[in-house]
Formats: sequence, structure tokens, C-alpha cells
Amino acid sequence: MTGPLSVAASPAFWVAVVAYCIASVLLLGVLAGKANLRPAAVTFVVIAMIAHGTDIGWRGVQGVHPANSVREALGFLAFIITGGYLLASTRYRLTLGGVVVMPVSLVLLLFARLTSAGGPAEDLTALGRIHISLATLGVGIFALASALSAIYLVEDRALKRKKFDTAAFKDRGAPLEALDRLAHRLVWVGFPIFTVALVLGAIWTSRLGQDLGRIEYLLAVVTWFVFATLLVARQIYGWRGRRAAKLTLEGFAAALAVLVIYLVRRIVG
Amino acid sequence: MSELFVVGLSWRTAKVAVREKLAFREDEIADTLHALTHDLPVSEALLISTCNRVEVYGVAKRDSDAPGVVRTWLAQRRAAKLAELNDALYERRGPAAIRHVFAVASSLDSLVVGEAQILGQLKDAYALSGTAGTSGPVLSRAIERAFGVAKRVRTETTIARGAANVSSVAVELAGRVFGDLAGKSVLVVGAGKMSSLAARHLYSNGAQRIVVTNRSPEKAEALADEIEGTAAPWADLEKLLAAADVVISSTGAREPVLTRAMFKRVAKVRKYKPMMIIDIAVPRDAEPQIQDVDGVYLFDIDDLDKVVAANLAERAKAAEHAGRIVEHEAGQFEHWLRTQGVVPTIRALREKFAQIADAEVQKGLDQLMRKELTRDQQRELVQRVVQLVINKLLHNPTTVLRGSEKEQGELRAGVLAELFALEISDHPTTEELVESPAEGSTERKAQA
Repeated sequence: MTGPLSVAASPAFWVAVVAYCIASVLLLGVLAGKANLRPAAVTFVVIAMIAHGTDIGWRGVQGVHPANSVREALGFLAFIITGGYLLASTRYRLTLGGVVVMPVSLVLLLFARLTSAGGPAEDLTALGRIHISLATLGVGIFALASALSAIYLVEDRALKRKKFDTAAFKDRGAPLEALDRLAHRLVWVGFPIFTVALVLGAIWTSRLGQDLGRIEYLLAVVTWFVFATLLVARQIYGWRGRRAAKLTLEGFAAALAVLVIYLVRRIVG
Repeated sequence: MSELFVVGLSWRTAKVAVREKLAFREDEIADTLHALTHDLPVSEALLISTCNRVEVYGVAKRDSDAPGVVRTWLAQRRAAKLAELNDALYERRGPAAIRHVFAVASSLDSLVVGEAQILGQLKDAYALSGTAGTSGPVLSRAIERAFGVAKRVRTETTIARGAANVSSVAVELAGRVFGDLAGKSVLVVGAGKMSSLAARHLYSNGAQRIVVTNRSPEKAEALADEIEGTAAPWADLEKLLAAADVVISSTGAREPVLTRAMFKRVAKVRKYKPMMIIDIAVPRDAEPQIQDVDGVYLFDIDDLDKVVAANLAERAKAAEHAGRIVEHEAGQFEHWLRTQGVVPTIRALREKFAQIADAEVQKGLDQLMRKELTRDQQRELVQRVVQLVINKLLHNPTTVLRGSEKEQGELRAGVLAELFALEISDHPTTEELVESPAEGSTERKAQA
């Protein structure tokens, strides 16, 4: 059964947008040295996440699910990223991560809700829905690993180049070893999910009779190869740190490109 | 009103040669506090004597120049000439003294802003004054509030963040790389004093084991014994490096003993697990190019100094925010102190009112016990008791008010109107005019 393609944005969506904006500004303030803004920043991240979740639920009640389309999946992806950030920040100080993650979640959410729903929905079978759900989850986990890797690279650079007066150094965020370990664990969790999504996607696409040589399919395979290389190289050659962080970001960039191409195709038709 | 004051000197006003003249040993403090409160016009006293400050905090007895007296007394007691100390000694009274003690406790007046030691020293001094019995209600409240302000400053600002000396910086940088030092091993290359200090600091912060290596095995053994580590042969340097997470190097070598080629091999053996090198030798022990090897973080003595400078700059910035907290808290404390001046009056007023009410109620109860009264008579009795209480309470104020000169009378009437929230009509009633010459006639009527 194919549900409605889109519905109007809920009030919770606007609350989430405002909360994301305020959280971003407050986290910037914390990074600039206003430590007393931290509790308020965390509160607004929590508000943003609750409102975001409520909006997803509200759309679900109207029959628009995250697995309906890539556009909806993007909104859910932003939710996963915010939730993952919140979870990780209970253990580590991730101000720098928040400064990156909050605007990213906001942009993804705005993109998912305010862009055109495009032409009529493709023939969404159960297989298609499972593929979209798993791919969203996998990419969401890779996105978190990438955010940690990005923080790793910024902190590593500050230490290597002795930039002791930069925000990256002064923030006293999570230690490099912990960032590297956490990013690696996330890739370990995300990789099998993404692998299953990729296989199901290939089957679904071939059933639809589409050409498997389309650029987005090739990029999805590239993404898989990059993360596979990362896991194998770490296991065998001990690749970690800067090299692993760069590879994680490259893999995520490929995954992001797949999403963007899907979206553009949907909007353009 | 009793006034809080402080007399003393600190690193800001006196060189160590002057500070040491005024310093007190711990065993002298109790006697000094007793002398202050028995021989001088000081009702409460606390004395803090550290390497950077000697200060007497006290509460002056009414209408006395306690700070001036304490200043002279201190000079006499330490057999120093007052003229010699005059430039170094400062005194603060009232609000300024409150601000001062809050700033001292919050480490805003310390040589290294944000250091935690001063708070502990102030707590010790307070405990000593408590034992000596010289800390009273005003001083106790001020000092305890100062502890609260210090806690607030440390929580709400970044004043205590970041290491402020080279040994602590090694621990701070290791924290950036590894987070927790638990389970990490430290290799000390060379047997210099500075490296032993840094290694000891890392060890006390959780590092698991310390290995010392030196060209001269005897020196390595001696240092290893001193810092509870183990000595290892210099020939095994590369193997030792591969097993170490933190390397502290301070040999006297003229050429680098830690090379990039060596660390490329070491990093591969370690599977690029992060490691940190603290090179505190001059000339440097480590080639700067080691920094390019993945997972290896190299810091030389200049880097450590830079971190200290950056941390101190950060603390100075936080000190501005902390200063505003101190200012706000001092304002609140002053308000509390001001209200303490009227507390005895409020207490006396309550006691007097209660006394009058008790006496009249007792009389009423006696009457009630003596004879059987009807319900109406009981009501009349209660009304009469209430009336009598009111009359007695108002008798003196009314007499004084009526007997006042015009200007004074108006002033008193205004105060009364404000205190009792009275709405006053401009024209007296006929009853009031009739009653005026023989005040208290109502009271007499009620008593009858």
C-alpha cells in the first residue's frame, strides 16, 4: 500500500527548528568560553530531539513514514544523528561535535520537510521500505562516526600544530583515543546494517527493472568498499587515528552523495 | 554596628623578605588569636598565614579603630618597625573587607589565579579560629559565605581550568590524547630532575608503571628507586619506546636521541596506537619531524610553556566573570549584615509585646476561673482583655507622639504610618479632639 507522499509540517516541527537554532547558538557560546551556558544548551538539544521525534510520530499517524521516501528518511536520519549525539555527550564533552551536529540536523530536517515532495511515489514494496529503513539507519550511524572523526581531525590538528589558543584545544573535549575508539565501534555496528540495505536495495531495484549501473548505485557500492577497507585495514594493519578518520569521512561523503542524487531525482522527477 | 575588617599583606604588596617577618607558625596562631580578642578592641578574629599572605580578619568592637590598632600591634608583636611595614600592610573595612575575603577564597587574589590551595588554607585558618573560640557569628557567616562564593566561582567559570605549571601540563596533554591515564606506561629517557618530577606527576595521576632508561645504568637505577619505577638498559631503547604510551625525555645529549626513523618503526610496531613524547631537554632530545608520524604527539619545553601561558590567559579572562560573581555575592552579604543591626530591636519589641499580652491574658483567665460567667459575659471579658492589651501596647507610643515637638512629631508619625501601613485621614474625629488633653482615658475606662 502506498501512503500519502507528504503532509504539512506539524507545530512540533517548528518547535524543533527553533530549538535546534537556539541549541546551535548556545553551543557556540559554550565553545567561546561561556561554560555556564552548557546546561541550557543541553536542555535545548533535548527539546529539539523530543519535538523532532513528535513531528516524526505525528507524520506517522497521518500515514507518512520515514520509510516512505528518501525525503522522509532524511528527517529520520537527522533524528538519529541528534539522538546519537545526545547519547555520546552523556559520556564525553562534545561541544565541538554539537556545534557541527546541530546545524547539520537542522538543515537535514528543513530539507526533509520544506522541499518539494516531487512526483508520484515509486512502487514501494515491503522490500523497498526495509531497504530505505536499514539504509537510513546505517547512514545515520556512519554520520555519527563521521562527526566523531571530524572532531578527531580538528583536535589532532590542534595538538600536532600546537594551536593551544584555539577553541578546539580550549574546549577540552573527548580525548583522541576515545573519539577514535567510538568512531570505530560505530562503523562496526553500521557496516552490517548498511551491507544488508545494499543487498536488499539491489534486489528491489532489479525487480523494478531499473539499471543497476546508475551513478547512485555505484556510489553506494563505493561507500560499502570504503567502510569495508577501513575495517579490514584496522584489523590487519592497525590503521587508526588520522588515517581512519579521513577514510570514515570519505565513506560518509560517498553515502551523502547517494542521498543527494536520490533526492534530486525525486524532486526533478 | 560591629564592622568586619582585614589587616595584612600579600605577594601583591610585600616581597618575601617582608612577608617572612610577619609570618606565623601554626602553633603560634591560637595564642595570637586569643591576644587579638582579649587585648585589642576585636570581638572576633581569624588569622591566615601562608607563603603568599598574612592576614588578620576580625570584627571591630563598637566605636573602635580596630584595624589601626591591629596594624600597630602586628608590627610590635613581630618586632618590626611599623614604618617598615606600613607600605606593605593594607586594611579593608566593611564592604571592602567582605569583597576582599570573597576574592581571596575564590583565588582571585592569588599569585596563580584559580589555584585551589588558598581555599584549603582559608578552611584550615577558619578551623583554627573555631578551635580557639575566636570566630563569632559575623566572621563565621562571612567566611562560610566566602567558601560558598569560591565554590560558585569554580563551578560557573573556567578559572580553575588548565594546568598552570610544566609538570601538570604533561598530565593535561596526556589527558587530551588518552583521557584516562589508568593502565598507561611511562618511559623516562635520561635521569634529569625535571623528567622525574613529570613522571611522578603522571604516576600520581593514574599511570600504571614507570620505566627509566639512561646511558649510565647507575643513574637509571638511582632515579628508578627514587620514583618507584624500574630501570632498563639503554640498548633496548627502541623496544622500550614501543611499549610506552608516554615518553618523557631529558638527557644531556648534544644530538637528538629520539629520531623520526626510529618512531616510524615504533609506530608500526604499536599499530599506530597513540603515544606522547614530552621533550624537556635543552638541546632537544627529539627530532621535530617526529611530529609527522601518525599517532605520535611531540611536545617540547616551549610547547609546555605555551600551554601554561594559554591556560593562564584563559584564567585571567574567567577572572572577570568571577569578579562579577564576587561583587554580587558581596552585595547580598552586606545587605544581610545591615539587617543584623535592627535584629536586637525586633527581638526586644517582640518580647515586650508578648510580656504585655501574657500578663493581660493571665488576668482574664484568673477572672474566668473565679466565677461562672454567662456566654455574653465571657465575650465581654475577651473583648476587654484585647482592648487592654491594645491600650497598653499603644500607651507609650501615643504619649511620646503627643509630647513631641511639631517637626519631630511629624517625623515619628510618618515612621509609624509606614511601619503599621496606616491610612491617615487629614481631619481628626470629634472623639479624638475631646480625648486629646487626657490621653489614656479609654485605657482607664477599660480597666474599670
